[in-house]
Amino acid sequence: MEHNENIKLQNIEVTANTAAAEEAAVEEPTVIQRKGIAGAWDNFVEGMYRLVETTKGKILVFGILLIAVGTMPLWASSYVLQVAWNAMFYMLLAIGCNIIVGYCGMCDLGYAAKFAVGAYTSAILVKTFGWNFWLTLPVVIIFAIIAACIMGGPVVRLRSDYLAIVTLGFGEIVRIVARNLEITGSASGISGIPRPYLFGVQLTKIWMWFFVFIILVIIFVIASNRLKNSRFGRALEYIREDEDAAEAMGVDVARYKLWAFIMGTVFGALAGAFYAMQMAAISPNSFQFLQSANILLAVVLGGMGKVPGVMAGAAFFAIFPEVFRDIGEYRMLIFGIALVIVMIFRPQGLWPERRR
Amino acid sequence: MALMEVTDLTMRFGGIVAVDTLTFNIDKGSITALIGPNGAGKTSAFNCLTGFYKATSGQILFEGQSLLNMRPYKITHKGIVRTFQNVRLFKNMTVMENVMSGCHSISKQFVGGALLRHPAQRKEEAEIRRISEEALKFIDILDLKDRVAKNLPYGYQRRVEWARAIASRPKLLLLDEPAAGLNREEKNDLVRLIRRFRNELGITVFLIEHDMGLVMEVAEKIVVINFGTKIAEGTPEEIQANPLVIEAYLGKDDDEGGPVQ
Repeated sequence: MEHNENIKLQNIEVTANTAAAEEAAVEEPTVIQRKGIAGAWDNFVEGMYRLVETTKGKILVFGILLIAVGTMPLWASSYVLQVAWNAMFYMLLAIGCNIIVGYCGMCDLGYAAKFAVGAYTSAILVKTFGWNFWLTLPVVIIFAIIAACIMGGPVVRLRSDYLAIVTLGFGEIVRIVARNLEITGSASGISGIPRPYLFGVQLTKIWMWFFVFIILVIIFVIASNRLKNSRFGRALEYIREDEDAAEAMGVDVARYKLWAFIMGTVFGALAGAFYAMQMAAISPNSFQFLQSANILLAVVLGGMGKVPGVMAGAAFFAIFPEVFRDIGEYRMLIFGIALVIVMIFRPQGLWPERRR
Repeated sequence: MALMEVTDLTMRFGGIVAVDTLTFNIDKGSITALIGPNGAGKTSAFNCLTGFYKATSGQILFEGQSLLNMRPYKITHKGIVRTFQNVRLFKNMTVMENVMSGCHSISKQFVGGALLRHPAQRKEEAEIRRISEEALKFIDILDLKDRVAKNLPYGYQRRVEWARAIASRPKLLLLDEPAAGLNREEKNDLVRLIRRFRNELGITVFLIEHDMGLVMEVAEKIVVINFGTKIAEGTPEEIQANPLVIEAYLGKDDDEGGPVQ
């Protein structure tokens, strides 16, 4: 017994020492000041964070951003507008995918299926049944929820690798079903979809769609932020961080995972519906695995769970291939190298974490 | 009055009986401890109570209601909250967000509320923040609330976990080896805290613990198990004097041929 006590005492001495060191660490948040460009970048980021914290700073930053983007149709060519529109479309998808992948931590390799659901629902209703596009949106939401429940059933019970495989499978199933059904126009898809009207104007010009998508991006960002900063969003993040601990705190893990899946699908389906209208044509080729992979990569590259990050990631994915169009297929090589470099040096994504 | 009644609880893993017909009560407003040598089945029993394991047989009643076959999150909603042996915080989230998870089981806004931010939702969010800050203040770590959990030293991570647990306003708090990895001073703080949980917040506390000194100091009733079965139950004084307990911990001279694992 005495011997035991001795060992215990020694142990306590040791832990006491390390605890004293830890005590010092907790007083001073450990901020490592990096040197050179990295240090300057850190300071810039910290400055930006501080700026956006104040209301004035917020108005300033977002005001400048909005003016810069909003005046684009005045000075940019229609090619640039097309690329910007495409970037915004990717942003919508990435914001939706981020709910599943970023907030809830589920690996989704079939996100294209989700925007296919919306695109086809809307396109069929408008083209085949002559509906008004805006009236199809509630139907799109309902179909998205139904699709998410069907796909989500097995998904919410799985973890990591298995989840990736199942979502991948569903992604392919949706595409192949669309390819073979008559109502979805089989392999050639649906074309000649009449463009919708907004305030009595038919949306035919790219700059009109440009503005429609700016508004959509704003709505998506607000909705996604509201989800994140709520009991619902926090529960998803608890699941991402530690499923067992989340369950222990009273989170019904399966239910919240399913709802993350549903919300992600609704966001994706809505984006898909608008995509179908802008393109005026969709085909199964628009929803290939590569699309899903790109969206997932945009989220991971930008920084999972961080809305500005995934938007930057999405913009990068849309703009990069265009900028390097001249070098043809080599751009994919550069693209791959860029991805590898980012993942080695910033595995948490491009968007920086606040240091605290 | 018994808040929780455990009757003939048995947990088998294949051929191994981890918990064998364990029976004990947790009285309302008490501080009860479950102790036993390594591998005695403490953690298995604990996991049965919290729903993380499904008991093979037996009964667990909480306020007269059976907890068997209840999912862990449902048990939390009943007012039983647990901590983990090796601290399990939501590492990449702030201390405040961690503690707010405690309020999950006592709040109810969902997707609609989140998107619309209607008055009821805002009110609930404010309430969640208030309760969480109170819990942080109670544990005396309010100044750490904006720090990211993973950047905190271990002792503070433990405190965050306790704050998270009491933020759910539990009736019963289950602590899984709360003193593991703490230094002497922190252990003293823990003893004071456990008493304050009970005296100031009215929470019944049940803990499993290795540190005998701490258990003897803080617990009012101790249940001792070995090889999954209860070998003794009583006040710290009774337990210290019990020959069976001393034997279980130190072995018996003529016990060379005893069970070998």
